[in-house]
Amino acid sequence: MKRVLPVIAALLLLAIPLGVSNQFLLHLGITVLMWTILGLAWNLLGGYAGQVSFGHATFFGIGAYTTMILYLSFRLAPWYGMALGGVLGALFSLPIGLICFRLRGPYFSLATLAVAEIIRLVALNWESLTNGPVGLLITSLPQVTVFGAAINWERKEPFFVIVAVLALCAMLAAYLFTRSRLGSYLTAIREDEDAAEAIGIDTTRSKVTVLALSAFLTGLAGGFYGLYFRYVDPDAVFLISLSVEMVFIAVVGGLRTIAGPVVGAIFLTTIAELFRERFMVGHLIFYGLFMMLVIRFLPEGIWGRALRILTGRR
Amino acid sequence: MALLEVSGLTRDFGGLRAVSGLSFQVGAGEILGLIGPNGAGKTTVFNLITGFLRPTSGDIRLDGLRIAGLKPHAVVRCGIARTFQIVKPFPNLSVCENVALAALVRLGVRAEAEADAERALKQVGLGDKLDIPASDLTLSDQKRMEIARALATHPKLLLLDEPLAGLNPRETEDACQLVQAIRAGGVTVVLVEHVMKAIMRISHRVVVICQGEKIADGPPSEVVADPAVITAYFGKRAR
Ligand SMILES: Nc1ncnc2c1ncn2[C@@H]1O[C@H](COP(=O)(O)OP(=O)(O)O)[C@@H](O)[C@H]1O
Ligand SMILES: [Mg+2]
Repeated sequence: MKRVLPVIAALLLLAIPLGVSNQFLLHLGITVLMWTILGLAWNLLGGYAGQVSFGHATFFGIGAYTTMILYLSFRLAPWYGMALGGVLGALFSLPIGLICFRLRGPYFSLATLAVAEIIRLVALNWESLTNGPVGLLITSLPQVTVFGAAINWERKEPFFVIVAVLALCAMLAAYLFTRSRLGSYLTAIREDEDAAEAIGIDTTRSKVTVLALSAFLTGLAGGFYGLYFRYVDPDAVFLISLSVEMVFIAVVGGLRTIAGPVVGAIFLTTIAELFRERFMVGHLIFYGLFMMLVIRFLPEGIWGRALRILTGRR
Repeated sequence: MALLEVSGLTRDFGGLRAVSGLSFQVGAGEILGLIGPNGAGKTTVFNLITGFLRPTSGDIRLDGLRIAGLKPHAVVRCGIARTFQIVKPFPNLSVCENVALAALVRLGVRAEAEADAERALKQVGLGDKLDIPASDLTLSDQKRMEIARALATHPKLLLLDEPLAGLNPRETEDACQLVQAIRAGGVTVVLVEHVMKAIMRISHRVVVICQGEKIADGPPSEVVADPAVITAYFGKRAR
């Protein structure tokens, strides 16, 4: 039963475009699933390993720009670009990790914030590569035929299927991660870093590895963003608020849960849709308020609490 | 050849020389007491040996192999395990999980690691507290758990930083017996203490340090009578 439920849920998710043709609803679904991947990715590092990053927009932006640039300059199809975006995000995370992991706790968090801001400024000013503040635009996506039918990129259905598959893969990766030795080592690091070293865990290597994994998933989602919106600029993909939204999803949904980010992403998307139109940056204030309420009253997150009630633990 | 050989070990913190040209040896199968007043540099010596601090200068050898400057996790794999003066459990994990993690690093297989952890916990007398969260243990039991966790790395040499501090007389007696049992099991032990009584009874040999320098090294009976030691502990007038 416990094994069958996730499989049924996954199949239902993939079947949604068969039953739902309302493009706005599909767009919401796509947004939620993209945020889910980001929340999952952040959770690996921030939840399981206890290393709170405020700079994940970096990897998102690198993924998005990689996809765009490879397509525009080399005609490399965006799905390969997406994968390479993840790989490049992971590669970038190595030096960032080696620098920032020299610090612990809040100092680490501030270092990630600073690095992300530096990278945003680089993207903004390196015009020959990124086209600066003007951004990059894809006007048409390549022709693809599946089972003899050409995919219509003007519809939302194909994007829904792509992001749903990515999200399911990310969840599976997170699940396998929690059962791996690395997952156990990171639990030890979260609990007490000195004690983790003292029992023989290479803490730096473990943290750098999980950061790379997290950056890969984040870059992948960034690549999807480029593919879906066909437009990126530094303020769309490198902004601090993006990093904070990833924290929101993981914390509100539930740290160290696999399904929590789905719940966090639904709340985030709802708040954004409700308030974005009415206030300029009002949704940011509401994220903040909502996150404070959750931390105060549901410190284990919405899904974390639900799980505890469902499984009847304490 | 000695199991552990420390020579000319020095460590500065800014202008403060916390450990100064310290040399001593630990023979296999010994219980060595490392004593000295508060602030003498005992914990710093442990941190240097276990890689938590890098020496300013000097050499540390285990079985003749140079280990000075290695990272802590690498030192553990060479066969030196430690406990902390202020206990560092994994507070939200169960007692068994705490110790099983150490065994997992060595064995790589979860089921074997758990069996190994249970063995180590039985040895230290915590066999009936496997599933309790570590943070719910008394200080005395947390110290035992930390010893079990260190033993689960299968060390040749075990460094215990003030294992008796904060224990009542009954617990102190039990802890002394545990240390002797560990040595009987083939693990060499270095004990740090700043209180002398218990350590004098169970140590085969004692090294006394004061302000980072060694002032005495010998069997407990000789060391307690050493004028330099008496001065260090009780001031000049005690003589
Ligand atoms: N990380 C550190 N930074 C600066 N000074 C330190 C540090 N660790 C220890 N010291 C200083 O080194 C001296 C020896 O400390 P310590 O080794 O903890 O002594 P002991 O364990 O013998 O009580 C003390 O004066 C202490 O203040
Ligand atoms: Mg000390």
